[in-house]
Amino acid sequence: MSIERYQLDDFNALGDPEFRLLVRYFLREHHPVDIINPPKRLHWDEAEPWYMTLAEAGWLAPAWPREHGGMGLSAAKQLIYMDEFERFGAARTPDHGIMLLGPLLIRYGSEAQRAHFLPRILSGEHIWCQGYSEPNAGSDLASLRTEAVLDGDEWVVNGQKIWTTLAGDADWIFMLVRTDKSGKKQEGISFLLVPMDAPGVTVRPIDNLDLQDEFSEVFFDDVRVPKDNLVGEVNKGWTMAKALLGFERIFLGSPRQAAHALSRLRLLAGHVGMLDDPCFFDRYTQLRLDLADHEALFEESADRLRRGETLGADVSFLKLNQTSLFQRITELMLEIAGEDGGLLEPIEGNRDLNPMGLFLTARAATIYGGASEVQRNIIAKAVLELP
Amino acid sequence: MSAHDISEAISMIRESAAGIAVRHDLGRIRKLRYSVPGFDRTTWRNMCEMGWLALSLPEEKGGVGLGMTASCALMEELGRALVPEPVIGATLAIQTLGDDQLPDVLSGEKMILPAWQTTRSGMSTSDPIPVENGTVNGVMRYVPMAAGADAFVVATANGWGLVDAHSPTLALDVAQTQDGGHYGTLTFSGTPVSIVSDTALAGPVAQATLATAAYLLGVIDEAIERTLDYLRTRVQFGKPIGSFQSLQHRMVDLSLEAALTRASVADAARIWDGSPGSSKAYAAVSRAKARASTTAMLVTRQAIQMHGGIGYTDEHDIGLYLRKAMVMAPAYGDAALHRKRFAQYMPDHAEAAA
Repeated sequence: MSIERYQLDDFNALGDPEFRLLVRYFLREHHPVDIINPPKRLHWDEAEPWYMTLAEAGWLAPAWPREHGGMGLSAAKQLIYMDEFERFGAARTPDHGIMLLGPLLIRYGSEAQRAHFLPRILSGEHIWCQGYSEPNAGSDLASLRTEAVLDGDEWVVNGQKIWTTLAGDADWIFMLVRTDKSGKKQEGISFLLVPMDAPGVTVRPIDNLDLQDEFSEVFFDDVRVPKDNLVGEVNKGWTMAKALLGFERIFLGSPRQAAHALSRLRLLAGHVGMLDDPCFFDRYTQLRLDLADHEALFEESADRLRRGETLGADVSFLKLNQTSLFQRITELMLEIAGEDGGLLEPIEGNRDLNPMGLFLTARAATIYGGASEVQRNIIAKAVLELP
Repeated sequence: MSAHDISEAISMIRESAAGIAVRHDLGRIRKLRYSVPGFDRTTWRNMCEMGWLALSLPEEKGGVGLGMTASCALMEELGRALVPEPVIGATLAIQTLGDDQLPDVLSGEKMILPAWQTTRSGMSTSDPIPVENGTVNGVMRYVPMAAGADAFVVATANGWGLVDAHSPTLALDVAQTQDGGHYGTLTFSGTPVSIVSDTALAGPVAQATLATAAYLLGVIDEAIERTLDYLRTRVQFGKPIGSFQSLQHRMVDLSLEAALTRASVADAARIWDGSPGSSKAYAAVSRAKARASTTAMLVTRQAIQMHGGIGYTDEHDIGLYLRKAMVMAPAYGDAALHRKRFAQYMPDHAEAAA
């Protein structure tokens, strides 16, 4: 089907199975074949054709309302959209503008900010990165120190951000900056938009354990931006950023990452001739059970969303469990690979036999998006009501 | 019945259970334990009057016709209160009985318990005993609460056979269990038997297995709640010990396992009710029992540890949950057995094709 056929006025009017089929067809017909299940996060030059296809179809922003150029999907339809994308192995684009900045501007931005920035995200003209973490503000994000001081009609920014994903590809960065040092640390933080080509911005890529340069350090040295680049009220940045941690958190607990890893474990076990080994088989079966039970737990939360309920702090259970399961699977992969598990390149050059890459990727899963230990702190207080 | 009606019925079942399964007062449980038969016939009749045995029995047989989702809700409440009455066994038995035995059993007048295990971990190796001239010879083991039964329904080569518990040719040996109940070993020596049905063993046993998983879920949830209460109130080093991160994180991990068990049991009940007796349903039941058995042992062990010295005393109730888990985790197959069965019922390629 031509891409215009996928531009519907009201996706929510479709039944769930019809919508699922539509997404499936769309991916099959329009997703570039060479970047299915990419072994690493794609850079802009690799992801651009796919991003522009999504843009052309109007499929870039499933959660944004129609009036702002999004698909306006209900929670139930968003779950289907994500599920099909993950099942297919669709490549993730540099999507911070779509996933994080867009919803924030829609809710808290000025009319002018929305009119200027939202269309440029949808056209691919602006690729955004996120400037939250700092060398001394990781899990304790609210202690961040990168500072913005008002000088006439401009904010002057000084400081350093780190773990900034795809900073080198981005045209803009949205960042949390300190605008007040006097009160509670959460209450002196503002949300600022900064062009990456502004004088005084320096990007230094960092190689990760998988030897990929997907994240960077970003330095700010007397960077000047117009006063109007601040979103919402001064010193309300923390509250705004937190308010947006909505039901999307469920996606960090999606079973697909672990399911993909398990399918690769099976492939590898066949390759190394372990499938009939009873010791391996019992451990493999345990992981299959773990995945099935995780899927059941995930579906419980998804069902609550479909019924129109909101998710509480217990959604953190999903992230905690999914990431640890993902790791256990890759650990067993590495173990059965024997000496090959120490190779730098995929086994026999086969991209699907790369336990090392998956094992290293999985290390990050229990750190990003709130480390497992932080998730446990949140659950202990908010769900278990421990003192 | 609509989904709404079923969820209404389940709330009613849970509320009705609270009257008998008193989770905040284990006095009755303590009084009954290590006695014979280890449960109370008046309570039993009350349970029968509330229709607990008949929940999943079809309406035309005098049942409620609710399915495993409702049964599991009930079993969870019973597990929370460590109820010793043999609801799981009796429910298995009624599925093997003929219509003429049912009224007395459903009213609680007569208690019939199933005898089908010839060996330890019997699910996969059970072999029925032969019938000759209307009598049976042989041994059946691991019959929970056997000393309280009026009759047994025995898995024979000719089908399910009814045997009078007071038959002089039937010897009953009783071995007490950690939770205060017992297993009976039945030795038949030319014991008269009347065949009542040829119901296959697998379906009713799978339902009993899932019911056991749900009972364990109740044990798990209550042990966690009691431990959380303890952590909130027990003060050491000048503060509630629940404020210590090492204990908080451990409780989060245990609660996660409990949440997985809940999801697994609910999933299995839904799958069973949707396609009872299918391979998919047997696999889901094994998955739920494997999870419940492992989690129940993990949670109750840790519950003792976090209670410290008082947890090691027999006087404190938390130990009753560990003892119950020790008995119920292996009943109807332990985790290792059910992992194996899951792999048999749901081979790898079946899942890949789904």
